[in-house]
Amino acid sequence: MSLPSSALPRLPLTVVGGYLGAGKTTLINRLLREDHGQRVLVMVNDFGAINIDADLLVSADGDTMTLTNGCVCCTMGADLFMAMGDALDRRPRPDHLVIEASGIADPARIAAAARAEPDLAYGGIAVVVDALHWLALADDPQIGAQIRGQVATADLLLISKAEGGVPPVLSARLAALSAAPQIDLADDAAVAPLLLGGLSPLRGKPEGGAHPAYLGWAHEGDEVLTREALAGKLSQAPQALYRIKGLVCAPEGPGWEVQVVGRSAEIKPALDAVARTRLVALGPQAGITRDQVARWWSGC
Amino acid sequence: MADITVFKARKIITMDPNRPEATHVAVREGRILAVGDATCADAWGAVRHDDSLKDAVLMPGLVEGHAHMMAGAMWNFAYAGYHDRMDPKGTWWKGKPDLASVVRDLSDYEKTLAPGQPLLGWGLDPIFFAGERLSRKHLDQISTDRPVAIMFSNFHLMCVNSKALDMAGYDRATNAEGVVKDAHGDPTGELQEMAAMFPVMRRVGMDFRGLSQTEGAIRSYGEVCMRAGVTTVTDLYSQMEDADLATLVAVTDDPGFPARLVPVLGVAGSDPDQVAARALSLKAQSRDKLRLGAVKLMTDGSIQGWTARVKWPGYVGGQANGIWNMAPAEIHRMVDTMQRAGVQMHIHVNGDEASAVAIDAIADAARHHPWQDARHVLQHCQLMGMDQFVRCVELGICTNIFSNHIWYFGDQHAALTVGEDRACRMNAARAALDAGVHVALHSDAPVTPLGPLFTAWCAVNRQTMSGRTLGAAQCITVPEALHAITLGAAFTLKMDHEIGSIETGKRADFAILGDDPTTVDPMALKDVPVLGTVLDGRVHLG
Repeated sequence: MSLPSSALPRLPLTVVGGYLGAGKTTLINRLLREDHGQRVLVMVNDFGAINIDADLLVSADGDTMTLTNGCVCCTMGADLFMAMGDALDRRPRPDHLVIEASGIADPARIAAAARAEPDLAYGGIAVVVDALHWLALADDPQIGAQIRGQVATADLLLISKAEGGVPPVLSARLAALSAAPQIDLADDAAVAPLLLGGLSPLRGKPEGGAHPAYLGWAHEGDEVLTREALAGKLSQAPQALYRIKGLVCAPEGPGWEVQVVGRSAEIKPALDAVARTRLVALGPQAGITRDQVARWWSGC
Repeated sequence: MADITVFKARKIITMDPNRPEATHVAVREGRILAVGDATCADAWGAVRHDDSLKDAVLMPGLVEGHAHMMAGAMWNFAYAGYHDRMDPKGTWWKGKPDLASVVRDLSDYEKTLAPGQPLLGWGLDPIFFAGERLSRKHLDQISTDRPVAIMFSNFHLMCVNSKALDMAGYDRATNAEGVVKDAHGDPTGELQEMAAMFPVMRRVGMDFRGLSQTEGAIRSYGEVCMRAGVTTVTDLYSQMEDADLATLVAVTDDPGFPARLVPVLGVAGSDPDQVAARALSLKAQSRDKLRLGAVKLMTDGSIQGWTARVKWPGYVGGQANGIWNMAPAEIHRMVDTMQRAGVQMHIHVNGDEASAVAIDAIADAARHHPWQDARHVLQHCQLMGMDQFVRCVELGICTNIFSNHIWYFGDQHAALTVGEDRACRMNAARAALDAGVHVALHSDAPVTPLGPLFTAWCAVNRQTMSGRTLGAAQCITVPEALHAITLGAAFTLKMDHEIGSIETGKRADFAILGDDPTTVDPMALKDVPVLGTVLDGRVHLG
């Protein structure tokens, strides 16, 4: 185990949760194939259902697949946290870490490491909800409590198998458990913006392709905020926004690194001095306008 | 003609009803050639008499059906537990009955460390301490220059000093679940669950993977076994990778390695078909002292952590029911695939709802893929009642019962988890034997110390730490307990044709004891001295 180096940017961790058969692997297959321009390391329990076209593969051995787009998919073995340590020790460090929680696991127990570990950034909990079976599972006397618990910890609820729209009964039941945005996975919209965030302001990379389903907002300015003021501001963000991330100037110290996923906001001290405040946000094209976001940030 | 050695003992307890006792045992090529008196092997040619064990009592080598390899290498860390405990080298570490003794003993230990080396400890159990909680303030008395991190005995919590907090960047501003804060908003040093412990463990080099599979870890486990009289031991959730096999083979092939090792592959979260293929391929690579091919399934958590799945009415006081580590549907699918492929399973079941699901899953699988001698084993079985044991008999399922819990946690179970009535019938070895199940008893080391004679004592006396008898109706006899820690456990590993009793044809695996467990006061069973073991006819003394 090597000691962490503060010279490297934090590794954002996104946890994908959801019961067996909900569609977690389908989601990960989509993420690995999309052209998002990020070197994503995906850790799964097993390769059983991971399905990557041969022409996208650079190499595949027992527990690691390397893709032509720079992504890597590996099995995590029995010790999830040690595997997380290995991910942090990888050089070059990946741009984003995605962990598939097992079907019955509480994804919050994994995501909590992103809040505790200084070298990780909180990339949120995305829980995949199977529209056909979730309601029955949630009332199952044996596993219902754990199924409902997954939804309660989610920052984003990704609804699968909801052909013809999310049933209102399901939507209401989920809303009672979680204020997280409910996002229908049925259309062909890219999943990378949901799981990874839209573009990477920390490195100035361009947004990976246009995503008609999503609205992107980018901001650069001279705002200087204390941690408390920033937390207050983020708590007022429009509910429809899926994600906000960026760097914010502070009156003292280096500034703040911000990650908002759904209703979760994480603020950590920035690793390098922040010269200007820069933020990006992402929401549903149908649910929010750039103007609304701008008005929130400018304080109106 | 190979050499014949005739060992003389004060008494040999054979566990073979045809000849329960003897004074001599003859060994050739690592196997038992004959059992009887000094002349027992004379018909086979010239013999060499070995009287070095003449004052000892020999038993079949003890068999531990549920322990973990890290019981050896845990001792790389400083011991901070409540009870006196022996390390792999045979040194006794004093228990620490209060915070003052934790600080005092670890301060002494700290002086033995090289500059800058972290002080890592394990085994702390503050459930037994009255009053103040352990905090960084106590650990700062040990050192402020080097990180100090003490893992609790349940592996879910740790306490660290200010230096370690600093290395992980934990301070007032930290807002992370599991990083416990005091009334002033400062971290106390207590860290709860892996997510909060991981940043410290990473920086101080507390690597749990290194506690298994390395040569040092395997050898240290062998030493622990030898000092407990154990000649066959499981590693009951092995995380071995394919690359680890060569090390396991090299170490266990060494005639100086004193145990037969049974790594049982942990399978949580894995694809059933891939697991089955891997288990079968490993099985084909088994050797005399390395037995591969079985798998372990997790189902629920632990009763004292309120994470076991228990049947109605649940935990006393209305605590929420526990959690599944594998969903019942997954358990069914995994069990079905293993049964179809012919892979023996050991299934962790602490609560009675978990054991019910496991039994149902095996019953379903048995209907689809009959396999009468599968000998799947339920592990822990802590809340199983007569009804479930009867179903085990019907289905040919074995049970390995966690008797050590009665002494270590029995008082807590009566007071806090399942209440007096159900605590009195926990780990119901009497009911299991009466139902006719094949029974083994275990320690789950390092959760509790490896020591089958102590485990047998627990099942015989059912005494708790407070000195009371918890459920006298479930006590078993000394001969029954000795059977469970030899032939009973061997049966669960499908090795009863080779080990578990001292009879002609079996492997020459013995426990060397300083007294006779069949004649001492049953309350003194745990105090019978273990002097070492014999494995394949080779003597290993402690």
